[in-house]
Amino acid sequence: MMENDSPMVKITNIHKVFFPDMHVLCGIDLEVKKGETVAILGASGSGKSTLLRCINFLEEPTAGKVVVDGITIEAGEKDKLRNGRIRDIRKRTGMCFQAFNLFPHMTVLENIIEGPVTVLHQKKEAATAYAEQLLQWIGLSEKRDEHPSRLSGGQQQRVAIARSLAMKPKVMLFDEPTSALDPELVGEVVEVMERLAKEGMTIIAVTHELHFARDVADRILIMDNGNWVEQGPPEKIFNNPEQERTRQFLAHIL
Amino acid sequence: MKADTNFSEGCGIPAEARKTLTQIETDRAAYKRKLIISFIILAIAMIMVLIALKLDFKFMKNQLPFIFAGIGYTLLVSFMAISLACFLAIVGALGRLSKNPVFNSIASSYVSLIRGTPLLVQVYMWYLALPQIGKALEGYGFTGIQAFFTLPALTAGILALGVCYGAYMTETVRAGIQSIDPGQTEAANALGMTRSQTMKRIIFPQALRVIIPPVSNEFIAMVKDSSLVSLMGVWELSYRAIKMGRRHFQSLEMLITVALIYWMMCIMLQYFQEKLETHMARGDRSIR
Repeated sequence: MMENDSPMVKITNIHKVFFPDMHVLCGIDLEVKKGETVAILGASGSGKSTLLRCINFLEEPTAGKVVVDGITIEAGEKDKLRNGRIRDIRKRTGMCFQAFNLFPHMTVLENIIEGPVTVLHQKKEAATAYAEQLLQWIGLSEKRDEHPSRLSGGQQQRVAIARSLAMKPKVMLFDEPTSALDPELVGEVVEVMERLAKEGMTIIAVTHELHFARDVADRILIMDNGNWVEQGPPEKIFNNPEQERTRQFLAHIL
Repeated sequence: MKADTNFSEGCGIPAEARKTLTQIETDRAAYKRKLIISFIILAIAMIMVLIALKLDFKFMKNQLPFIFAGIGYTLLVSFMAISLACFLAIVGALGRLSKNPVFNSIASSYVSLIRGTPLLVQVYMWYLALPQIGKALEGYGFTGIQAFFTLPALTAGILALGVCYGAYMTETVRAGIQSIDPGQTEAANALGMTRSQTMKRIIFPQALRVIIPPVSNEFIAMVKDSSLVSLMGVWELSYRAIKMGRRHFQSLEMLITVALIYWMMCIMLQYFQEKLETHMARGDRSIR
């Protein structure tokens, strides 16, 4: 799709071993171009969430290299400035969690401006103005001063997306964003993700949501036991998979 | 379909359900009434016991102002000590959770040592034994340090109570911090917050809610333990009561009087605690 740009996210030979010998990721490579939407699918326990969390170092990779928007971090470096660079990556990547993880002691608005004000040192007024735009964009302007506990799961996840977007990230990471939701609430969250993709955001999503994978993603990657099984455009993966393992997995979720 | 099974418009409540509801309400009211009566009977019984003991109520009334004058010291010691304890508890909890081996070992030893020794021994340690340490230090050439190590009774009492309760509260604060869902830390980290920003903005405000009941509990306990400073001759509530009781051979009267004063203080503190808890809980249930 995009031509000759350097990739927004580039992961090289990532290994993750949990002590003493649980090999969760076995030398994973991944390149995601600017503006690309990538969906990672795979059975639970296959390592997809761990991979996603290695991109912003919520999980420390055991070996390998991560480059996000030109910032390079290698596993196991001993560098005083490393934590600062990890934070630089985190400022450029938004992350949405399965359990939303909104801050329960803050209102919706406070949740959204927390990052810009505390981390980016923006003026509160400027951050609030942008937060209000975001609230309108996700369709929750009227919930501005509510606490998260008074929102439905779908609304909470939309606020969580807005909280990430308030940092004006270059990449959005979604870690099973709809798995904790009641079926009738999935649609509203996927709809927000779809609009985000259409507006050109670079997205890496671990998800089992079929509509998103099939119709929104530019590329699908299938993971099994810490290795890629197969990747390609959705039509190919869904209609004409090459690997037997992909076929088995799709048979389970379709 | 009959009207009383129409779900969309809410169904009519059948007569027997109404009867059950009324029954539940009456039972609840009856229980409340009986509870209040029981409390009143208990109170009357207590007063009767006091009368049966042939207490000298006139003497109690006459001495009340003298004893009551000690409340200032009691409150002073309690508030100063709880402030010190809160400060130590926060530093201690951060130490106990720290990955820095020096900081962690100091905090852990502090908690272990202080919780493992009687408060009474600690009070004497600050008051009577510390000057001896000062003397030993002077022997090593630190001239003039002994004066610094010889504490006035009030200071020694505040330090002893504050340091002791700080150790217990360290564990309370640590548990409060650890009770916050790790997802909160992850969300804060994902936004790019530093460790101290996460602690200050996200974890601590939530932990505070959890630790207020146990900390109020500690505070109520401390108000009573402040009587230990009477050992060093500080003229607080219990010191005055004991002194007067001995002088007039009417210890029972004086001890009952001072006990009632402490009790009233604690009832008031409990009331404030409940107010504070409702205030903190306002507007938010747990997130899931």
